[in-house]
Amino acid sequence: MSQHELHAGCDEYNSLTRRAFVGVAAGVAAAATMPAWLPKVVLAQSAASRDIIVSVFLRGGADGLSMVYPFTDTNYYTGRPTISIPRPDSSDANRGVALNGQFAMSRAMSALLPAYQAGNLLVVHGAGLVNNTRSHFDAQRFIEVGKAADANLVTGWLGRHLATSTPMRSDAPLRALGLSQGLPRTLVGGPKTIPVPNPTTYGLAGSATTRAERTAWLREDYTEVDTSIGAKALDAMNTVSLLNSINFNGYVPAGGAVYPATSFGRGMRSAAALIKADIGIEAIQLDIGGWDTHSAQAPVLGSMSRSMQDLAGALAAFHADALTGGVTYNVTVVVVSEFGRNVRENGSQGTDHGRGTCMLVMGPRIAGGRVLTNNWVPLARENLESQQDLRVTIDHRDILAEIVTRRLGNPNLGVIFPSYVPTVRGVTL
Amino acid sequence: MGTTLDQDELTGPDQHGATERPSTLTSAASRRRFFTAAATAAAAFVVTTPEQAQAQSQGTRRARRKLPEPVRGVSLALASAATPPDAQLAVWRDPVARLVRRVTLGITKAELERARALGYSRYLEEQLRPSMIDDRATASFVATNYATLRMTPDELYGANPGRAVTELQEATIYRAAFSKRQLYERMVEFWTDHFSIDTDRVSHLKSTDDRDVIRRHAMGKYPALLRASAHSAAMMEYLDQAVSRRGNINEHYARDIMELHSVGVDGGYTEQDVNELARVLTGWTVSGRGIFTYDAQMHDFGPKRVLGRTIPATAAARGLAGKGEADAIINQLALHPKTAQYIALKMTRFLLQYDPADATVQAVAAEFTRTKGDIPSMIRVILTQQNLMVAPAKYKRPFHLAISTVRALGPSVSSTSFVRGQLNAMGQQLFNWETPDGYPDKMEFWSGLALARWNAATSMVAQTGTAFNFNVTPFVGTSAETGAALIIDNLFGGEVTESLRTRLQGYLRPSPTNTGRVREAVALALSSAQFQWY
Repeated sequence: MSQHELHAGCDEYNSLTRRAFVGVAAGVAAAATMPAWLPKVVLAQSAASRDIIVSVFLRGGADGLSMVYPFTDTNYYTGRPTISIPRPDSSDANRGVALNGQFAMSRAMSALLPAYQAGNLLVVHGAGLVNNTRSHFDAQRFIEVGKAADANLVTGWLGRHLATSTPMRSDAPLRALGLSQGLPRTLVGGPKTIPVPNPTTYGLAGSATTRAERTAWLREDYTEVDTSIGAKALDAMNTVSLLNSINFNGYVPAGGAVYPATSFGRGMRSAAALIKADIGIEAIQLDIGGWDTHSAQAPVLGSMSRSMQDLAGALAAFHADALTGGVTYNVTVVVVSEFGRNVRENGSQGTDHGRGTCMLVMGPRIAGGRVLTNNWVPLARENLESQQDLRVTIDHRDILAEIVTRRLGNPNLGVIFPSYVPTVRGVTL
Repeated sequence: MGTTLDQDELTGPDQHGATERPSTLTSAASRRRFFTAAATAAAAFVVTTPEQAQAQSQGTRRARRKLPEPVRGVSLALASAATPPDAQLAVWRDPVARLVRRVTLGITKAELERARALGYSRYLEEQLRPSMIDDRATASFVATNYATLRMTPDELYGANPGRAVTELQEATIYRAAFSKRQLYERMVEFWTDHFSIDTDRVSHLKSTDDRDVIRRHAMGKYPALLRASAHSAAMMEYLDQAVSRRGNINEHYARDIMELHSVGVDGGYTEQDVNELARVLTGWTVSGRGIFTYDAQMHDFGPKRVLGRTIPATAAARGLAGKGEADAIINQLALHPKTAQYIALKMTRFLLQYDPADATVQAVAAEFTRTKGDIPSMIRVILTQQNLMVAPAKYKRPFHLAISTVRALGPSVSSTSFVRGQLNAMGQQLFNWETPDGYPDKMEFWSGLALARWNAATSMVAQTGTAFNFNVTPFVGTSAETGAALIIDNLFGGEVTESLRTRLQGYLRPSPTNTGRVREAVALALSSAQFQWY
C-alpha cells in the first residue's frame, strides 16, 4: 500500500498542506509548507492522560546565568563584576533565593518559587543546541525545527508532533495556535494550526454591526461549495465562532492568580482561558522578547530584571490558575531560548551571545523542584567553551523528546526529532 | 517585429550566448562579501516524502524533495480536490472571458469588452507580443516612483537595500495591477517562481535579477532566460555558487540548475553529474557589490565528465579560460529533451490546469523543441480555446487574489504599499519564499487561509485615502437587482451562479443605495467562493 493510499481518507493528512507564516521580528513572513509527506508512523492515540503543551520561546538569547546562577562559584562573580546577582546568603537587599546548595534564583524570578517548591517547576541548566552558531536566526531556527543545520527541514518539532498524533478531540476545528502575528516556526506543519495574534479580537473584519449578517452570508456561500475549499472555509468560520464563544475579557483566573499586565502576561492568561474552555486545543506557542542584553543588562533592578519578572510572574500566575487552582489541568509548559550568553560581562555591562542557558519545564507531572544539570563544572575559563561560554551539556531535544513521549503520548521521535537519539534525563514523573 | 513602444525591460539580445562577453573580472583577493547572511545561511528545501525524510535523517545529501512537480498520483489527487463546483464552471460559458481570466491577473469589465471586440485569437496574439502594447503610463509611474529599479548594484548598495526590496515589491504589484501587458506580467510571475530567489538572503540583488533576467526574458526564449539566470549575481549568492571553488566545491547551484531550472528532478542526471557540474561551475561567482564574475583562480581545471560530456584537463590560466566549460553544459541543459518536458509541464500547469492531459504537455514540449524554447509559441499551444473550455478553474494565490481585487475595484492608486501589506497578511510576501522552488501553485497550500482572504477584501474595499482610493459609486445601483448586476459585471465578467446573484441581491436589498452597504456587498462578493477561482 502506498503512503498516499494509506492516508487517502484522513482529513488530518489532507489538511497538512497549508500555508504557514513564519514571522520573526520586523514582519518577515517567510513561508514554509508541510507538503504531502505522509510519514510512516503509528499515530499517537488520543488518551485522557495526554497533556496540553504550552511552549514559550524567549527570543534574543536569554542569559540563563542571570535567571538561575551558581552562587557558590567565585568565577561567576569575578566574570561579572557589575552584573552578578548577590549571593542568597548575603545581606544584600537584592540577593537571590537559594534553590539548593549550589544554585540560586534571581529575585526577579522569585514569583516561581511556589511552583518550584511544589515540585512542579524544573530548571534545566547548561541546556541548548549542539550546534555552536551564535546567530539568532540560525539558532532559533535550529531549535524550532528540532534539528541543527538542516536546510531541508522547514517544519517545526511541535508541528510534526501534531501531524503525527490523532487529535485529542476529533471534531476540533483548531488543534494548536500561536499567540502571535505569524505562525511561529515551532508550530509549522501542524494540522489545524493557525496564528491568532489576539484571541479577544479574532474574527471577520469590518463593522461589528453587520458582522453576524456577513458571517451568515459567507457561511451560506461556502456551504454551496462541495470541495475542500468549502470545508476549510467552514473550519475557519467555526474557529472564529469557537474563539468568540470564549469570554477572554471576562475570564477570572482561579486561585487568585494575577497575570502581569504585559503582552506575555495577557498571552498566558489567554492560554489558560483556552485550555479551560476545553475546546480541543492541544498546543499553544507564545513568544517573549527582550533577552538580547548586549548592554546595561541590569539583571537586578533594570531591564533584564523586568523581563524576568514578566516571565516569572506570568508563569507563576498560570501555575496558580491552571495547575493548582481548583481544578488541575494536564498541561506541560516548556520555556526555551536560542542560546545563553557569555559567562563574563562585556564592556557595556551586558553580555554577548553565548551557548548554554537554562530551560524551564513546569507541570503537575514534571519531576520538578530541582535544578537538572549534567557534569556541571565551575565556570573557570579553562572549563568554558571557547574559554567564554557555558557548555551545552544537555541537548534541548533530550528534554523535549521526553515530554513528547511521556506527556504528549507520541512515540514518533524519528519524525519529530530526526536523526537524534535523545538521552533520557528523567524530567517527567 | 514592428515598431516597439517600450523595449526597456523586454527581451533584448541574449547577452549570454555562445559568444560570451566578459563580465567584470576581479581577482579572488579583491572579492568582497557585501552581506553576511549568505555566508552562513544555507538555502532551505522542503521535505516531501517519508522516504526522503528518512534518507535525510540518515545524512545523505540525496534526500531531496520532489517539489515542485509532485508524482502523478499526488497531482491527480490534488486536481480532483481542486475542481471547483460544476455549477460555477457551467456558468463560465464565454471562451473569451475564460481566456481573459487566464491571461490577466484579474478580469475587468473594460478588459473583457476589449477582448470580445478583438476576438479570442486576436486578443491572445496581442498579449503574446507585449512589446507592441503601449504601456507607457505604467512605465512612467514605475520610473517616477521606484527609482531603485534602474540602479546598478553599486548604486543599490549605496541606496537603502531595504528600500530596494520594498520598491521592487511595490512596483511588481503596480505593474501586475495596471500594466496592459497582462500575460507578460503573468509570465513574470511564473518565471519569478521558477527561478525563485529569497530577498532575505540576497536583499537588493534581486532587483537586478528581476530586471535583467526575469523581466528581460519572460516572454522571450527559454535558453536565453536560463543563461541570464546563470549569470545573475543574486542567483549565484542565493544558491551558494559564489563561494564554490576548486577543492572546496558547493554543489547547491549545480544541483538546482538541473533539478529546478532545467531538466527537472527526473531529468536523468546522477549524483556524479551534480558533483562534476559543480566542479565545472567553479569560478562562477560574484564580485564587488553584486556583479557576476568569472574568476579563473577559483576554477577547477582538472578533467571532468558531466552529462555524458568529457571535459579534458587544461592548464590553469587566467581571464575567461575555463568559463566555456559551464557555458557549454548550460546550453546543453537549455535545449535538453527533458527540459522541454519539464518546462512544458510546468507552464501548462501554471497557465491551464493543475493536472493537464499528457497529450497537451507533449504538444507543448514538441513546440519547445521545434522553436528552441520560444515562450510565446508554447503559450499559443497551451491556451487554445479547445483546451481552455475543458480546463478546470484554478485557485488564486494571494498575489493573484489581491491583484484581481485591485483590478476589479479600479481604485486610484498613488502607492501600492497598502496592497503589499495585504499580501503579507495573506502569506505571500513577494520575493520572500525561503526555498528555491518558488511559491507553490497548489490550491491545498493556500486554501487554509480563508479568514485572511476575507479580511483583506474587507480592508481593500474600505480604502478611501489618497494612496489607494476605492470609489464605490460605479457599484451603486438603484435597486438590489441593478446593484448586484454592477458588482457581477465588474468582478466576475458577468458570469456567476444564480445562487450567488440572489445572495448578493439579498445583502443589498435592505439598503441598496447606501454606499456603506454596497461596500460590504462588494467585499462579500470578493470573499465569495466564486471569486477565489480563475
